[in-house]
Amino acid sequence: MRLLATVAAVLSLGSTALCAEKSNSTKPLTSRQILPANFKPPQTFKNVNLVHIINLEKSYPKESINVVIENTASTAQDEYFIPFTSSQMETIGGFEVKDRKDPDSGLFEVEAVEFDTESDTQFYRIRLPTPLAPKAQQTLGISFSYLSALEPLPKHVGQQESQYLVYTFSAYCPSTYVTLKQKTEVKFPSTNVPEYTIVPATAGESESPQKAGSKFTYGSFGELPAGAVEPVKVRYEFTKPVIHVSRLERDIEVSHWGGNIAFEDRFTLHNHAANLSKQFNRVEWASQQYYNPPSTAIKELKFPLRVGSTEPYFTDVIGNVSTSRFRSNKREANLEIKPRYPIFGGWNYPFRVGWNADLKKFLRKLKTGNGYVLNVPFLEGPKQPEGVSYEHIELRVILPEGAENVQYSTTVPLVSVEHSLHRTFMDTTGRTTLTLTAINIVDDFRDRELIVTYDYPLLAGFRKPLVIFTAVVGVFCAAWAIGGLDIGIHGKKK
Amino acid sequence: MESSLHQVWESASGNPFEPTIGKGSQFLVGFTLLTAGLLLSGLFGLNRSLINIPLIGVPASLVIAFGAVYMICAVGVYV
Repeated sequence: MRLLATVAAVLSLGSTALCAEKSNSTKPLTSRQILPANFKPPQTFKNVNLVHIINLEKSYPKESINVVIENTASTAQDEYFIPFTSSQMETIGGFEVKDRKDPDSGLFEVEAVEFDTESDTQFYRIRLPTPLAPKAQQTLGISFSYLSALEPLPKHVGQQESQYLVYTFSAYCPSTYVTLKQKTEVKFPSTNVPEYTIVPATAGESESPQKAGSKFTYGSFGELPAGAVEPVKVRYEFTKPVIHVSRLERDIEVSHWGGNIAFEDRFTLHNHAANLSKQFNRVEWASQQYYNPPSTAIKELKFPLRVGSTEPYFTDVIGNVSTSRFRSNKREANLEIKPRYPIFGGWNYPFRVGWNADLKKFLRKLKTGNGYVLNVPFLEGPKQPEGVSYEHIELRVILPEGAENVQYSTTVPLVSVEHSLHRTFMDTTGRTTLTLTAINIVDDFRDRELIVTYDYPLLAGFRKPLVIFTAVVGVFCAAWAIGGLDIGIHGKKK
Repeated sequence: MESSLHQVWESASGNPFEPTIGKGSQFLVGFTLLTAGLLLSGLFGLNRSLINIPLIGVPASLVIAFGAVYMICAVGVYV
């Protein structure tokens, strides 16, 4: 008995160790370049003029930095670094850089680089498409968002009370280079900003912020060294839900035989707004709905779909949810869904929506060979005035069985790409599947296109009827063979 | 702001994918083919000879195969 107990204890210890190893291995998904530990960004640039805009109108802070950079080195340079703290690095998303003077030139190549995992400072590296000559200047437009960066204060509010959010940032834009002149503009959703940090006046600079309606301006500030930080905290009214999707699984299934493309989005939705201070009061809720007061609860989600979308459905863990409306005509196809209950702060709602559409609007045949090109929206989540943030998006493009030579392109920053097979109804080998994973995406990326090209040989197309044909011919042959057997109970014929 | 395959998509603009049988007629085609397959199978059942396998069995299998594919699509399982 004691031996048995000892063995069980050893086994459980072993399994705990295994589990611990597993839990340690689940680091956040990112793709980053590891640089040597002694790396420091070279001081090859200076920021001549910098405008940092922080937009707090939605439920996530969206920041953009417009900066005129000048090469101070003696040789041409093409690498510009931007510093972030390691906690910012985990929640930053949608990092994009373009030339402000030439917006059509496309996005610059950017990469998260890490030189020391213990250090609190990490970098994004921007690679300029053409190296900047000494003393030359270029205007960069850098934009990004932070997820889960807004904190409600107080953390608990009543059902009809206003909500206030807190955001902390630096009045001096974080930079690894000397900045000659800069200012930080903060756009609030309303003029109700009860608390904010005041940066005292210094020689030649007036006190910040300057207020103009719902816009606060910190600065402008004169020459500041690299790494200068001036922490600022603002608390502002935001009586709207803070919609956060921790996981979105999106399937796009292409059927050549059916001439159909099927979309399904599975959301794990949370509201990160302030929690209720008391128990939910349905009578109070119902009595106020006629006046439609501002509320932190999610009451309705609106999905503007592509024109021509049909057969939508809205289900959750219980089954079909009947409180949805689908308005479809020649100009629009709007799916408006109401969850089973108003989703208050701290509440969750997992659900799925799906719809079909004609394939001819999304798929074109290439002029040569058996090639096809598919153009689908990467993200078609709800379009809410308060914004939606997505922590993890897994998009599966399920192509017909036998499709090969799959290539893709999208402007959405991805962290991983996988080619696999998806087995479902009437498949023999399985359908070719392209799985794209993106993290920390906000609803600004809605309707960004994803283009997939693939080859679909004629024989692969006939695989399904061929399988059924073979099976049915087999049945006929069996009927003939078995029908010819003599199973009668009588003696041998003479 | 365009992705690298955008040109490929634009160059194929005059060539949208057209399915052989449109969504509206899938049920009719599937039902007709399956009915024909059923009748041919019945005909084969009346005289199960070896010569009738290529004469009746193979055409019956063909119409059942295509009929089944279209019928499955028509009921909403887009294979």
